[in-house]
Amino acid sequence: MNRRQFSVLGLIGGLAAAGFMPLSAGAQPLPDAIRMVIGSNAVSGDTYQNASIIAEALSAHLGIKVKVDAVGISEAFKAVGRDPRGTTVMFHHDQSYLSHLYGVRGFSDIFSAYKVGPVVSVNPGNAYLVPKQSPYQSVDDLLKAAADGTRIRVGIQAGGVSEIGYSALKNAARLAKPGSEANIVAVNSGSQADKNQQLFDGQVEVINGSVQANEQFTRLPDDDQKAMRFLWLTASREIIEEAPEAGFGQTSREQLLQYVTPAMRVTLDGQQDFVFDKDFFLLYNKDMPDEMVKAIDEALAAIYAKGDIQKTLKSSFFIPHFLPSQEAAAYLKTKDGNYRQVIEAIAAKN
Amino acid sequence: MDVLALISPAFFGLVAAGTVIGIFFGAIPGLTATMAVAVCLPLTYSMGLGTGLAFLLGLYVGGISGGLVPAVLLNIPGTPSSIATTFDGYPMARRGEGERALKIGICASLFGGLFSLVVLYLFAPPLADFAIKFSFVEKFLIILLALTLLAALGSGMLTGLFSGVLGMFVSLVGVYDINNGGNGDIRLVPGFLETWLESGFSLLPVLIGVFGLTAVLIEAEHGVREDAATKKLLLASGKPFRLSVFRGQWVNLLRSSAIGTFVGLLPGIGGSAASILAYSQEKTFNRKEPDAFGKGAPSGIIASESANNGLTGGALIPLLSLGIPGDATTAILIGAFTLQGIQVGPLFIGDNPGVWQAIVIAMLFANLCMVLVMLFAIRPIARVVMVPKYLLLPIILMMCVVGAYTINSGVMFDVWTMLAFGVFGWLIYKLRLDMAPFVIGFILGPSAEVYFVKSLESFGTLTIFFTKSWIAMLLWVLILASVTASVAIARAGARRARMAAAAEA
Repeated sequence: MNRRQFSVLGLIGGLAAAGFMPLSAGAQPLPDAIRMVIGSNAVSGDTYQNASIIAEALSAHLGIKVKVDAVGISEAFKAVGRDPRGTTVMFHHDQSYLSHLYGVRGFSDIFSAYKVGPVVSVNPGNAYLVPKQSPYQSVDDLLKAAADGTRIRVGIQAGGVSEIGYSALKNAARLAKPGSEANIVAVNSGSQADKNQQLFDGQVEVINGSVQANEQFTRLPDDDQKAMRFLWLTASREIIEEAPEAGFGQTSREQLLQYVTPAMRVTLDGQQDFVFDKDFFLLYNKDMPDEMVKAIDEALAAIYAKGDIQKTLKSSFFIPHFLPSQEAAAYLKTKDGNYRQVIEAIAAKN
Repeated sequence: MDVLALISPAFFGLVAAGTVIGIFFGAIPGLTATMAVAVCLPLTYSMGLGTGLAFLLGLYVGGISGGLVPAVLLNIPGTPSSIATTFDGYPMARRGEGERALKIGICASLFGGLFSLVVLYLFAPPLADFAIKFSFVEKFLIILLALTLLAALGSGMLTGLFSGVLGMFVSLVGVYDINNGGNGDIRLVPGFLETWLESGFSLLPVLIGVFGLTAVLIEAEHGVREDAATKKLLLASGKPFRLSVFRGQWVNLLRSSAIGTFVGLLPGIGGSAASILAYSQEKTFNRKEPDAFGKGAPSGIIASESANNGLTGGALIPLLSLGIPGDATTAILIGAFTLQGIQVGPLFIGDNPGVWQAIVIAMLFANLCMVLVMLFAIRPIARVVMVPKYLLLPIILMMCVVGAYTINSGVMFDVWTMLAFGVFGWLIYKLRLDMAPFVIGFILGPSAEVYFVKSLESFGTLTIFFTKSWIAMLLWVLILASVTASVAIARAGARRARMAAAAEA
């Protein structure tokens, strides 16, 4: 290699190194680069989208690199479990503790095995849908049919956010007429594509979906095999009220409010209604230093105080919901306790 | 949004840049089109909708196309969808026709890409409606049809079937994922390996091991002996490329491109199944040179490459007409749409005609760029066979290790997997079993299981596989025809071998 080639190579190498060099992080306790693993291996989903918004905001605010990595839930738990230095954090949603409640293999109790970080947002779109020409116009119709002995098959992805609404339906059926919950059965369909396909095939009567993924199907003409109708959104009324007035796609906020309590009721215990807001939050290694936790809390508090991130989240149909780590842990622990009751009530009867 | 508002010089520049980077990703074993799109997705955050999509679609087309380069020259599929290209591409390269094999692959890729693009543009919504007629039952039968290749691809029917079933068995290691409708239980894994094998063996380390490392071990076993004459032979001898190689290949090109487009249309089946299916159909129904497959038949490369590029347009059909990705790479494209504030679904094309047209233009331009770039670069790329083996083999080994390590962002177990399967591949070679059916069984096994189980869960009876629909019945006819033809070919081959042996005696 002659001197000229050597210089060119050196220059290229130097530029490449400079390109990969993280920005100076100053005197803060956080590392120069953080890998934010998400509990999903799809970059098309709401978890990746949410994580990207948060990562970008943290990067800009702290002057460090925050890279989102879609590795899937079990790999994400492993990665964060291996790294107490704070260079790997996990971004996920309620599935983290629901899967443990449902006894899915490989899921430990996040409250004892990890450190719960801040809650950042809610996806208000968790929905249950029926074919457009389905006889079921409301959840009540569904529960009545179950009480009359009709089998209602619900397409879900087992062990998480998709299943909790199904469990709530079963619980409501049990309260309406004990024993009728046996007529509401889950079909573990898997992905959203497979859930949709089962609805098209008439293999299930109801599917779990989302406003974001299924809204266009609700606008198809009645005679289209793919046409669907929202039956119930699990989000609370307060959360939907915070959504942009235009709603999502061509379904306005006003229309979406018809599918949440109190317009569409699924009782929790005969008194209160069941609601489920899908919260997104950070999870840390159990031994991650407290000053790092504090630094991320403070950074996010400043970002939310500034107000820009709320606009970004809302434009993507997410509801901003910031709780610093300690409050987040208490809030999620309460949710964990509430949903444990629902799951145990059904399990006790089966 | 008007299409003219989305198209600019930067739009075409980014398609070209994406295609070049994509080819680079596709050509390096261990890096895939999916990775190219995933890695570059954050770069598009700051771009506009048109330019962002242009870049990602360039990456997609380039990534799928680049896989043929190492498949032909090194016998290592650059991406899983170029596996069937190795079957005939590498034997051609070994007899001095590497450049010719690459050019055949590039032209076939262009044909497949353009074919699927025309289908996408003209028939996307009605085809999406047709795609939803394919439930779990029909998808299982398509996988079964691809699996009929197992018997035909081996050196003998029994060894082919045995190797294929062994591949399927190995693919079942790990958890039957709850997200795939499974029960979440772990199986076939000793307790001390549960942490690592929870998700089974990763596909790419296995492929790199059995193709890359095995080849290195076999070469090492024979000793590195070569002379300048051999190298010269490898690069320059053999037939030169002529477009006339495509004479008589129209049926193959059309059928394979249609298979690729069609498999892309069905979410969840994937690019490797497309090229394997097209290859198996060409091998089964080729009457001119049935014995040439696996020994360097241009028809094999044409089938595989036109099918895997046919997939690109096909996989966009359910994406843009149902909001459902047709393969892993288009799943990432949904992310790009979402980040740009556009929701794909059954009304996407009607609601966004400008974006739709920009996508078609980007795909068309990406295919043209792919051909130009690859044809231009082919001569220097093909010279890789000129690199002395004492240099090439360590480089391949290093690429294998680095490729395996990077797949899941630095999991050392993937490197051990690659090494173990490299040794396993060498054992298969020594035992005179067949590697190709093993790999096909390994790739298609999980999909076959998922669709078989889901079919039974949904319909509750085995007879549903025969009675579900006219499509299922048609698929059974194709499966039977494929098996019958495979048996006939195997018998004819054995008869010829016996006669040749008798004549020699």
